[in-house]
Amino acid sequence: MGALLQVESLNVGLRNGAGVVVPVIENLSFEVHSGRTTALVGESGCGKSMTALAIMRLLPEDFVITGGRIVLEGEDILSLSPKRMRALRGNGMSMIFQEPMTALNPLFTVGDQIAEVLRWHQGLSASAAHAQAVEFLRAVQIPALEQRVNAYPHQLSGGMRQRVMIAMALAGRPKLLIADEPTTALDVTVQAQIFDLLAKLQQDTGTAVLLITHDLGAVAELADDVLVLYAGRCIESGASADLVGHPRHPYTRGLLGCVPHLKLGQRMPAVWSDLGEIAGMVPPLGARGADCAFLARCRDASDVCRSRPQPMLEPIETDHAVSCWRKSEIAA
Amino acid sequence: MTTLQTSTPLAIEPLDLPARPAASPARAALRQFLRSPSGVIGLCLLIVLVLGTAVGPILYPVDPLDLVGGPFTPPSADAWLGTDYLGRDVLAGLIYGGRATLTVGAVAALITIAIGLTVGALSGFFGGAVDAILVKLTEFFQILPPLLFAMVLVTLFGQKLTTITLAIGAVSWTSAARLTRAEFMRLRNLDFVKAARTAGAGNAHLILRVLLPNALPPVIVSATLAIGVAILFEGGLSFLGLGDPNVMSWGLMLGQNRNYVLDAWWAVTFPGAAIFLAVLAISLVGDGINDAANPRLRRRT
Repeated sequence: MGALLQVESLNVGLRNGAGVVVPVIENLSFEVHSGRTTALVGESGCGKSMTALAIMRLLPEDFVITGGRIVLEGEDILSLSPKRMRALRGNGMSMIFQEPMTALNPLFTVGDQIAEVLRWHQGLSASAAHAQAVEFLRAVQIPALEQRVNAYPHQLSGGMRQRVMIAMALAGRPKLLIADEPTTALDVTVQAQIFDLLAKLQQDTGTAVLLITHDLGAVAELADDVLVLYAGRCIESGASADLVGHPRHPYTRGLLGCVPHLKLGQRMPAVWSDLGEIAGMVPPLGARGADCAFLARCRDASDVCRSRPQPMLEPIETDHAVSCWRKSEIAA
Repeated sequence: MTTLQTSTPLAIEPLDLPARPAASPARAALRQFLRSPSGVIGLCLLIVLVLGTAVGPILYPVDPLDLVGGPFTPPSADAWLGTDYLGRDVLAGLIYGGRATLTVGAVAALITIAIGLTVGALSGFFGGAVDAILVKLTEFFQILPPLLFAMVLVTLFGQKLTTITLAIGAVSWTSAARLTRAEFMRLRNLDFVKAARTAGAGNAHLILRVLLPNALPPVIVSATLAIGVAILFEGGLSFLGLGDPNVMSWGLMLGQNRNYVLDAWWAVTFPGAAIFLAVLAISLVGDGINDAANPRLRRRT
């Protein structure tokens, strides 16, 4: 089966004050299949959200797509008319935002907001749309529906609002759902519920999910495929079990080292050095040269890395590709 | 690390949710408005003025343009507030003139807000070239002295009430436009606007249903104040002799009798006081709406 969404060597740039285009995302390629979840992982500033916005064609002003193709079900999104694009948003693809506190219109009840989406995409009458909105709220497991459907966003908790956001995003029955850090703003117990809900809804509807997250635990549980982004470049990609189980790129290893693990037992751990960190910061826009972007922070960097430009993303096994000069040494 | 093992389907306990339906933002604002003393006083005053001009003619059926007695008759049982320089009844003038003045004020404010909202919304929403052109247009109108410009318009197109109203609207929409533009620019990058876009909202929907309702509170305040400004404008134009001589208005009474203020104080003082009270009432109401609509100023209760 062909991929639902194909991103082919996408390049996005930021036009700065002097009119020079600084690369933000470089040569990013990936696929998302129906019913499967692809995760984009990386630190802040690595271009994850920009990828999502590029797919929705909602990049902020000054950001330009400088190359590549984004194909949804055989349609090249980048060449569509604004009108066709509008029809695709919500219906072909839809998006959940990070901050549920601000992602709902404060002046309308949640039922109205979901009903509105239903009316655009399914041409329902106002009352039918309202009835359907209740069904969507039921699907996202909102308790005490009858009151909640007429509630304003400020009357709901963060978790509830994120559920409403999910209902709103799914109301157009999208084939692709982009979830941009859907749980970052929520507390841990609610995070698990939201991830569960997303997984269940995906099973029920067969929607493809592009999950953008820092949460490697969630990636391991939810995602089928993973791409690790660093400074706008994909540095490792593969099936999630393989990639999380056997990370090859030093950056991926560093990221996984940053995930806290709870150990049960009487003894306090002898040292608190279990929790790793990656020293340094993502190189800022405009300071990204041809050489490996992770070079300055890499513990495994050698002369090979310094003397040559960033390597291509090369397969190391089936379904596992790495962009690192020392990939075979590190794997060993 | 998030564990996803706990796939309990949400332990839902029967909650006792408040039975009262959720207050809509508009209703909450109204409740807040009724709590502000200045707003309520202003509203009462305004209601008295409007009622006075509405039912006044029934209670005091005198034509304001009729000569009912000698000129400069002081207030008496015949003419309760005296007569003006032609012998016309001042109270009748106040009643009928109030109709004209308040209507001019309201309609001119509507025109102001209609132009301001349209220009500001388009400019703030689309940005870019549209914004650049509309801002230049706004600035062009802003650098013209408003009273002078209105005088020019009225002299050009005739001293009629409609012309005066349109002229007032045409010179005073700029601040409403700038305000709306600023609100739209603030709002258009917020998450809920992006969320509506990703759900497939078109531009018309975004402008009218998503951005506009959220941008309205400050605009409503400025609209209220615009009524007061328009009334003052009308008074100013009439005072300078550019009022509509065929329709009695407070400004016209003021303008026509201003030379005789020392001989017949009543012919000038009463219309002046009426204008003062109307503008005061409207400003108080605007203040109350501002308190109610602007949550940052709202006191915690």
